Amino acid sequence: MKVSRRDFLKLAGLSTVGAVACNIFPDREFQEQSPLRIPEDMVTGVDNWYATTARGGIETEGLVIRVMEGRAKKVEGNPLFPTNQGAHSMRSEALLQELYHPDRIPSPMRRVGARGSGQWEPITWDDALNTLRDRLSGVSNRNQMLMVTNSMRGSMANLAQSFAQAYGGRSAALDLMHETVAAQVVRDLFGQDRMPVFDIRNSEYVLSFGADFLATWGSPIQFSKGYGHFRQGEGRSRGTLVHVDPRFSLTAANADQWVPIRPGHEGRLALSIAHVIISEGLGSAAAVNAMTGGNRNVLEAYAPERISHELNIPLIHGKSPVDMIKEIAHDLASHGPRSIAIGGGSAGAHTNGYFNLAAIYALNFLVGSVGQQGGVILNPPAPTPEFGAFLNPTTVRDWQGIRNDIAGGAVRLVMVRGADPVHSLAALDFAGAINRDDVFVVSFATVPNDTSHMADLILPERAALEDWGSDVPNIGPGFQVVGIQQPVVNPLPEYDPMGFGDVLLRMAAELGIANKAPLNHVTFADVLKDHARGLQALNRGSVRNASFDAFWNRLLQQGGWWDEGSRGAAPPAAPRLADIVAMARDAVISGPTGGNTFNLLAFPHISLTDGRGANLPWLQSTPDPITSVAWTTWVELNTDTADLLDLKEGDYVNIEGPNGRSFTARVYHHPAAPKDMISVPMGQGHRNAGQYAAGRGANVLEILGLPVEERTGALAWSSTRVRLTPAGRNDSIPKFEGIVPAFQLSEHEAIVKVTNEG
Amino acid sequence: MASHHKWGMVVDIDRCTGCQACVMACQAENNIAVNEEVHFLSRRAHQWIRIDRYWDGDTKEKGVVTWPDVKARFIPVLCQHCENAPCEPVCPVYATYHNNQGLNVQVYNRCIGTRYCANNCPYQVRFFNFRDPLWPKSLWNHLNPDVTIRSRGIMEKCTFCIQRIRRAERVVEGQRGEQLDDAKLKAGNWMPACVNACPTDTLIFGDLNDPNSQVSRKSQDPRHYKLLEELGTDPNVVYLKKVDPQHAQHA
Ligand code: SF4
Repeated sequence: MKVSRRDFLKLAGLSTVGAVACNIFPDREFQEQSPLRIPEDMVTGVDNWYATTARGGIETEGLVIRVMEGRAKKVEGNPLFPTNQGAHSMRSEALLQELYHPDRIPSPMRRVGARGSGQWEPITWDDALNTLRDRLSGVSNRNQMLMVTNSMRGSMANLAQSFAQAYGGRSAALDLMHETVAAQVVRDLFGQDRMPVFDIRNSEYVLSFGADFLATWGSPIQFSKGYGHFRQGEGRSRGTLVHVDPRFSLTAANADQWVPIRPGHEGRLALSIAHVIISEGLGSAAAVNAMTGGNRNVLEAYAPERISHELNIPLIHGKSPVDMIKEIAHDLASHGPRSIAIGGGSAGAHTNGYFNLAAIYALNFLVGSVGQQGGVILNPPAPTPEFGAFLNPTTVRDWQGIRNDIAGGAVRLVMVRGADPVHSLAALDFAGAINRDDVFVVSFATVPNDTSHMADLILPERAALEDWGSDVPNIGPGFQVVGIQQPVVNPLPEYDPMGFGDVLLRMAAELGIANKAPLNHVTFADVLKDHARGLQALNRGSVRNASFDAFWNRLLQQGGWWDEGSRGAAPPAAPRLADIVAMARDAVISGPTGGNTFNLLAFPHISLTDGRGANLPWLQSTPDPITSVAWTTWVELNTDTADLLDLKEGDYVNIEGPNGRSFTARVYHHPAAPKDMISVPMGQGHRNAGQYAAGRGANVLEILGLPVEERTGALAWSSTRVRLTPAGRNDSIPKFEGIVPAFQLSEHEAIVKVTNEG
Repeated sequence: MASHHKWGMVVDIDRCTGCQACVMACQAENNIAVNEEVHFLSRRAHQWIRIDRYWDGDTKEKGVVTWPDVKARFIPVLCQHCENAPCEPVCPVYATYHNNQGLNVQVYNRCIGTRYCANNCPYQVRFFNFRDPLWPKSLWNHLNPDVTIRSRGIMEKCTFCIQRIRRAERVVEGQRGEQLDDAKLKAGNWMPACVNACPTDTLIFGDLNDPNSQVSRKSQDPRHYKLLEELGTDPNVVYLKKVDPQHAQHA
């Protein structure tokens, strides 16, 4: 039966509402009315999928990109890639918006107005590169050139390092979120340059301290993959997750037990747990002997009864802190090699962070989980030194020195790529340092940021999906992996970007320093190919071929190379507890004292992280999982505390930090926040980073007094106290919560049904 | 004509961490306009799949101080593709109807925007376009050519990524003459966008008519339940309960 639209409407008009349920119309009629149902005879576009890798925010993910008619349409995880295994984060998803960002810088630009006035004139690449070359050759001492980059890895790091060395300039890498303290502890305790991977997938008991590994810490997608299996994987029983953290992070929210603790006391708790394991003979006997050196009293001062009052652990489900510590120790030890202790994030971001993390990671030795399935698996080094190159982030302590050098006139040329020091180092007033007539600032950027706004010359860089690159994920999956990044699309005709690598190679050639690899190549793609030859020569792993062309094609097709047969070194000897005890010290919390002061816990935002995603509208519009707030900065304040202070949700408060500076943001009533603490997400407070980021929220990093971790010099961003004062204004907070009314009708009809069996 | 497929989903909330990767993947795949600040403030943000966060043991609601025994519970909520969908019979123009594959379908060019369906949906998963979607021109480049852009006055909702299912059917069944199954859906990247993105494998999609599909097997899990089951909507989305060993079962 053929039904025209007119007939249909006639019929529809006559029928009752139930009519649609009976089959009076052929199904086809309905479906073809839908634009979603494309008729069989209609030619649809053909999609191509290209594999690549990118470090959208925190960790490198293997991706496949759907491309139609020369435009990238969708990001998916690369199912072959060993870390993210087909899944991907929203940070990777949003790479599309970097690619097609409305504020993309179309061509090189030269500053014409005063510095920071935002007045530019477009120039040609020849002009721009000649200017850069003249500046590079014009400094009276090559040490006056400073190259600031992100903490690059792989081929680009190898190239940038080689360039800075051959040229004779200085370089610094900026990544305040880098786990500098954890990396140092891993180096000292595990003897590894790379972070180990936590085999959550096969673990039975995970005890984490401060590391928000399901949201922003380490390698969240890789860990989440393991976590799903840990919870409900087939053929295994459900794992237990205990999370120790002053803040109710996403990982705390997903833990079977959240243990709030006094900030900076995580290491003491770990030693107390170790004390129980040793004194009750729960751990592996060999490890206990090695770690105590036969002196079983080494942790006497950490007996739960003695120190629990210092830790500020509340009664949890009626359980006393002493019982809680004992229970954790028993559980950890009883799962032996299939238990994991993870430390990082806020636990390491204290002035005593090294001690905290050393004590935490030592627990793994005590229960024998180092190098074991379901425990802590060590990662091997990169397969070749070129791919293994890594620009270790400069610590805040060193940044302070660099800042003073710039402000004092010792630096004349600053090249910035992949980093936004004006925003990230706001507490150091980096903007003030470069605001000198005798400093020439060159910014490589895809979309404007606070630093490019202060530059003399802006060189538009290729977006991640338009560029070449390579990366060895750190945290790797327990074997060697090299991710290959390839351009999946060409830049749109209206843009004229150039890869950072290509600019460096051109400069090297023009300055006459291009006599050896990798600087002797013409394009960065050639450098990458050259590095790939080293991989081909190994003749092992997922891609092998005697012909380089075939090897290279396969490499690009798969998105990388990996060798599951390569494994990390054997675990080193266990650390001595006496050494760790000797390092014990209190966290020094700096900041105002007296009334209305709170411990401040800044935390990386789930999508904006420390601010690098702030210019992408998708990432701005992602609700924070717990508060559901989007597009702005909020202050998490315990509901009862807020009531006491008579602060309603949306009330603006002034937060004053140790350096006397302050910012204003709106209060969010948080039932799980500790009463004496406030938490504020990082990521906002950009001044000039394009239409989606500029003038939005506040930069919490700006008010820190820049306390540093004593041993490593890393930023101790959780060792801060602040004063909170009501600002006397109120405004609704943009959040998802409440848009859809809670539709649960009664307890019995609960939307989230919970069972205690499983 | 009955189809041999019946699409459905299992959502294991014991795995879900609330990370929002699924939400973002859905926005990207389905050309959902960016939820700007004003849309959150005016309560008109669109999320075909959303993560609801419930507080359990909230001090306010129970009147007792339970901190720190407060739990946050996350649940992804999307169109339940009900067999007895309350939204369908109230549409005066049949813009929403149940197709022969278990999908609750929205025909955009038929919708006249009465919003009756949204009123009648107990799950609050239908969204009305109070505005024409606005993207800066450059962002048009990433729009998915397989998905219609909804104009002002139109109701929209989760389609189980029908465009992907259709492509899969065309390629696997139409061109190759093979039967579509879990493995082929996965291999072709044709699982709904949220399912593909989810890092914890919370979301499982597939053919409920295929006894060997993961979704068929998982929907029999002892933890299974359906949202607001007592309403009799008979959803094609099955949830698996959250496990919390500390939970007092029959309190
Ligand atoms: S992506 Fe998966 S884990 Fe994350 S919120 Fe969605 S369903 Fe939950």
